[in-house]
Amino acid sequence: MTPLTSKVCVVGDFAVGKTSVVERFVTNHFSEEYLSTVGVKIDTKEIDFPTLGMTHKLVIWDVAGTEEFGAREMAYLRGASGYIYVADGTRAATLKAIERLHKQILEAYGAAPGVLLVNKRDLEPDWEVSDERFDAIATRFGNAYRTSAKTGDDVDQAITRLAELIIDNDMRGG
Amino acid sequence: MNDLDQLKELLFGAEKQALDSISERVERREIRTADVADILPEAIHQSHQKDGELVESLTQPVGECVQRGLRDEPETYADALYPVMGPAIRKSIMHALRNFSQQINEAVEHSVSPQGLKWRWQASRAGIPFGEYVLQKTMRYRVEQAYLISRENGLLVDHVHHESSKIKDSDAVSAMFTAIQDFVKESFSPDRTGRLESADMGEFTLWAVHGPHALLVCVIRGVPPKSLRADLSAILERIHFRYGDAIRDYKGDTSTIPDVEVELERCLRFEAREESGETRSGPPIQIVILLLLLVAAAAFFGVRSWMYSQQQDKLDAALNATPGIYVTNIDRSGRNFVVRGLRDPLAADVIDVAGSVDIPADRLTVSMRPFQSLQPEILAARAAQMFGPPESVDISVSGTTLHVSGEAPSVWRQTLQSRFSNLAGVDALDVSRLTASDRAEFSERVASLSRSRFFFRSGVELVEGDAGRLREFASDLANLLEDARSFGYSVAVTARGSTDSIGDAAANAALADRRATFAAGVLASAGVDARTIRQADLDNTDGPQLADVSQRYVQFDLQLESMPDLP
Repeated sequence: MTPLTSKVCVVGDFAVGKTSVVERFVTNHFSEEYLSTVGVKIDTKEIDFPTLGMTHKLVIWDVAGTEEFGAREMAYLRGASGYIYVADGTRAATLKAIERLHKQILEAYGAAPGVLLVNKRDLEPDWEVSDERFDAIATRFGNAYRTSAKTGDDVDQAITRLAELIIDNDMRGG
Repeated sequence: MNDLDQLKELLFGAEKQALDSISERVERREIRTADVADILPEAIHQSHQKDGELVESLTQPVGECVQRGLRDEPETYADALYPVMGPAIRKSIMHALRNFSQQINEAVEHSVSPQGLKWRWQASRAGIPFGEYVLQKTMRYRVEQAYLISRENGLLVDHVHHESSKIKDSDAVSAMFTAIQDFVKESFSPDRTGRLESADMGEFTLWAVHGPHALLVCVIRGVPPKSLRADLSAILERIHFRYGDAIRDYKGDTSTIPDVEVELERCLRFEAREESGETRSGPPIQIVILLLLLVAAAAFFGVRSWMYSQQQDKLDAALNATPGIYVTNIDRSGRNFVVRGLRDPLAADVIDVAGSVDIPADRLTVSMRPFQSLQPEILAARAAQMFGPPESVDISVSGTTLHVSGEAPSVWRQTLQSRFSNLAGVDALDVSRLTASDRAEFSERVASLSRSRFFFRSGVELVEGDAGRLREFASDLANLLEDARSFGYSVAVTARGSTDSIGDAAANAALADRRATFAAGVLASAGVDARTIRQADLDNTDGPQLADVSQRYVQFDLQLESMPDLP
């Protein structure tokens, strides 16, 4: 199969579950323990696309959580082919942070494929994000998922969708 | 031609001719081909001088042409490449052999030294092959891995490594190095122009060489020289020269940068550590050990050879000292011996003789031809075999004389005496110390007949009864003498005549003689050999003259003499 390697950055506010989402996707494992990411953490995962006859390896940069990127975080994002935006469904403010971060990325590096993961679906009764709010932001992002790193709900689907979007973008010469 | 045509001819005649000519050149293929052929070399030259598009355009079709040519006419290409392939292959093999021999030399050099044993132990504890451990200890530096990383996105363009290097996820390593690079630049470089160029991690050093579009990161074991950085920079420059645009636009598709691995492999340098003068001051310990081993081996084989030589001498001496064996040759092959020569069938077995000098039969090959020995011991043995002597008899030979001693029956002695001359190498027999085991019995028979007296009435007339008794005596004596002859004894018979003392002494002596002669004649008539009978007179003249009839007799005395000498 033809190999393709892409840099993907995971961004979002503090404690929204970015590292847990990556861990669920890469190792299919979830840890209840909370460890704050310092700087950036790197993981890789290969996804096969038999219909396309290719393997897509994602080099996932799990950037430390922040409401707004500083220069160091922006440096980490340079050259990314796609973004995984992660918000916490139990904290509506984290969606606001996503909007700010998205705007910063657009300004610094231009448009790039991205998916939005509104995480902690397993805590849905406690959610502050209403369906209307979710739909509204989903419309803007194009690809939004209610995910749970704890149960694994829609994590694979969301990130695999991003991998597809990156391939499409590359094919279009974007 | 109408007026209009004439007008056209007048106005555009020359142009029309030119157009026709151009039209012809365009429409006729052969003319077009000739035109292109005229300008093609110059056009190629100009295009090549201008930019690289020509090369790019020709790469694929020329490549396909070469592929097809190789497939369809491999012999032609093989002939063409022959002058190039030989040196290239030789160079490659020499390079590989040089590396291999260097590693072997290092490994052997350190395999038996105290330091080598220590390293072997440490390599075992570290769980890596000894050869690899020696290499680590003896090299000055070795570039273990090289990463070519896109500066734009941190993606790994390519990665090469030494065979023994343990590789993690090279994409993750590449990304993490880029992240660290960014972290350092953003955190510690106020103007963001600083960059991480080296990092130390235990026994490894990371060197990063920065290019416009790519970052070359090398993982180096040991202490690299400064000149290595210049070499790495040159390699990165060459990569940029060949793949600069492709690396700039790299999005993770490695097929856009083909064969960059070949360039990158040039980074995997190795340099051995120079030996210190101290280690060169004396002969290497392994040479000393090797010499000691050689001396020990030479001593071992020398001593063993000497021992075998001694055994050969002992065997030779033992065989030559063995009667009936004549050794012509003893060959030694390693620890085994081959004995050739002559052997009397009565001689001791060669294997038994060898056994007496501690040479077992499995180390011996015997090739002996039979012969008849005249050595005294063998002659004695042959005599014993021939005559079957009683246990009480000893047989020996000195010179050509057979000595027989001890005690044996008279019959056996007679057989010996009659046949000893058949024994080759013997021409005399000595039985002076051989006594007859049956002599006592025979002596008794002689004693029983000796001193027998036969009385006379008067003259030579026997008293009544003694005539018959004399005849019986004569028969018994004849038998005794016959037996004596057959047993080899000699019996002396003496007839003594006696008379009474009356009368003239001379007459009596004559009478006594007549009586002895008479009695001897009786014996002779009974078959006794008269030659064995001697006559003697009894001296009875000194007494008083009495008519004593008891003095009128003949007495036979028998004397068993010793065995006669050999003829």
